[in-house]
Amino acid sequence: MPTTVLIVDDHPSFRSVARMLLESEGYDVVGEAPDGEAALELAAQLRPDVVLLDLGLPGIDGFEVARRLPPGPAIVLVSSRDARDIGPLADPVKGFIAKAELSGDTLREVLAA
Amino acid sequence: MTSLRARLWLIGVAGVALAVADCAVTIQSHHSQLRGVNGPLGAMIVLAFVMTGIFAWSRRPSNRVGRLMVATGFAFGGVGLAQANSSLLYTIGGAIGPLYLVFVTWLVLAFPDGRVDSRLGRRLVVAGFIDVLVIYELGILLDIDITGDVPDNLLAIVHAPGVAGAFDTASAAIGAVIIASVVRIVMVQRRRATPVAQHAAAPVLRTGLFCLSAVAISLAIGATGVSDLAHGIAGSVAALAFFALPFAYLIGLLRSRYARAGRVGELLGALSARASLRDTLAEALGDPSLRLVYRTESPTRWLDAEGRDVELPGRGVTHVERDGVCIGAIVHDPALDDERELVDAVAAAAALALENERLQAELRARVVELQQSRSKLIEVSMAERRSLERDLHDGAQQRLVALSVQVGLAKRKLNADPAAAAQLLDRAGDELRLALEELRELARGIHPAILTDRGLCPALQTLIDRAPPDLDVELSGAPDDRLPAPIEAAAYFVVAESLTNIAKYAHAGHASVLVERNNGHAVVEVRDDGVGGANPEAGTGLRGLADRLTVIDGRLEVVSPLGEGTLIRAQIPCA
Repeated sequence: MPTTVLIVDDHPSFRSVARMLLESEGYDVVGEAPDGEAALELAAQLRPDVVLLDLGLPGIDGFEVARRLPPGPAIVLVSSRDARDIGPLADPVKGFIAKAELSGDTLREVLAA
Repeated sequence: MTSLRARLWLIGVAGVALAVADCAVTIQSHHSQLRGVNGPLGAMIVLAFVMTGIFAWSRRPSNRVGRLMVATGFAFGGVGLAQANSSLLYTIGGAIGPLYLVFVTWLVLAFPDGRVDSRLGRRLVVAGFIDVLVIYELGILLDIDITGDVPDNLLAIVHAPGVAGAFDTASAAIGAVIIASVVRIVMVQRRRATPVAQHAAAPVLRTGLFCLSAVAISLAIGATGVSDLAHGIAGSVAALAFFALPFAYLIGLLRSRYARAGRVGELLGALSARASLRDTLAEALGDPSLRLVYRTESPTRWLDAEGRDVELPGRGVTHVERDGVCIGAIVHDPALDDERELVDAVAAAAALALENERLQAELRARVVELQQSRSKLIEVSMAERRSLERDLHDGAQQRLVALSVQVGLAKRKLNADPAAAAQLLDRAGDELRLALEELRELARGIHPAILTDRGLCPALQTLIDRAPPDLDVELSGAPDDRLPAPIEAAAYFVVAESLTNIAKYAHAGHASVLVERNNGHAVVEVRDDGVGGANPEAGTGLRGLADRLTVIDGRLEVVSPLGEGTLIRAQIPCA
């Protein structure tokens, strides 16, 4: 059974290519959310295995959304910045992927860590 | 002759007539004791109050003190009429006799500004009138028994001397309480008054309080009937103090005039000794709370000595002029408004020194402005950096990220699904073109190359060329010669921001851009025929422009009435 993913990002172009990329590598993208509020709603409704969560969201930012998400999904932060701009990560965040490096393999590595 | 002068003349003539009549009826009186003394003395009291009152009235027509003194004088005339042999004059005099005490009570309460400020004070004045016009008059109507060979009381309706005496005693007792209360109020007010107000009112209030205290004691002794001698002595002391009251007013006035001449002389000496101007003026006017404020032009502002903006209060302000131009103001105790000649003389003497201090205050204000301008410069720079980072992050950076992911995906699909890979590369190409365009826009927003290379006029023309097709924009007056780079940049961004706003919000069909050099300034005007209602405080664009202009001493003006288009005018100093 494929891993289900919720993509949270305010840029439609990124949501679109991320969906295409992950689906081509065997993931099941069950939903997309353009902001934190929608992400919280969809996460509770769809109960995905993974939430791919952009940091720079309008309104509540990615860190705050991660804190508010219900327990269950693995939270993977993404950003167009790289890891040096992000700083140390804390629970419940599973890991971080720079958007330019997103692929099925990098996601698997983060989830396996 | 003005109507006030005519009125005062008539009052004066009436006062003299009353004094003469008083004197005559008292001297001829069959029932008055010491009539040879009381006649002229009564007339002098009437004249003193009426004439001093007329003087005070003419000096300060809006101040009620003069009118109250005149009223006191005329009311005191009733005391003289009560000595008449004629029943009619005797009755009139007897009926209005004590009214002068109510007027003098009112006068003391209202001195020096003519207003009775406390509610209790006003109620006491009303109570005084009720005491005389109701309780005392009831004694008259009931035919109070008066010893000696006095004429008939024409107001007597019933002969009930016992009850009438009770009313008379009650009226005296109430009068004593009212006057004692007034004495207390005035003493409390004096303690709370500013030094200036205390000094100005001292002679009249001291004499008035002494007079009222003696009257209260006399009335209290009379009401209790304990001692005729004590009653007589208290009454005589009260009469003397009452007689002295108008002279106390004149003494106070003379004292202030002599002091004025001396103070202005001392002031001139102190100014030449380079003492602190504020302290010198405060001492000259006896007002420790005095402040100086300085006026600057273009724009008109009032500054304190530290160069901070201040607002002038409604009262207690004397403007200082030099060569017909207002250069500042003395903010003083409002009580000094009654000493107008003194304050004006001090203001005139201090004008030169104040002009020097004004220049210093202006300099300090300039330093404060420069400090604020420096902070503003840093803020503007930080805001621009943040905005630039946001634009890069949200724009080109996102497109390049998407591009990178698409290229990676295409690479993986190249062998298995070449058609899908080609489609992905097409999309990547689109993203790349958009990213390039966004980077170019961003670079133009930071500093357009054409402005540096070819100057303001061609740069403005490119802005106009990029305006939406449904907006007709006309450029006029742009100078061909180059302006300093910061001014060209400021002018360019005023036009760029204005045209962006017009395209986004104004719903305009026509806009005009004017750039000209005028009187040492570069003036940029952008006008449109749109919906108006632009608010520089509402968005960041116009506010950011205003901040940028402040840094180079420029000013931004926005005129945008609803429905009548918008005018953005920037003035940038350009020597």
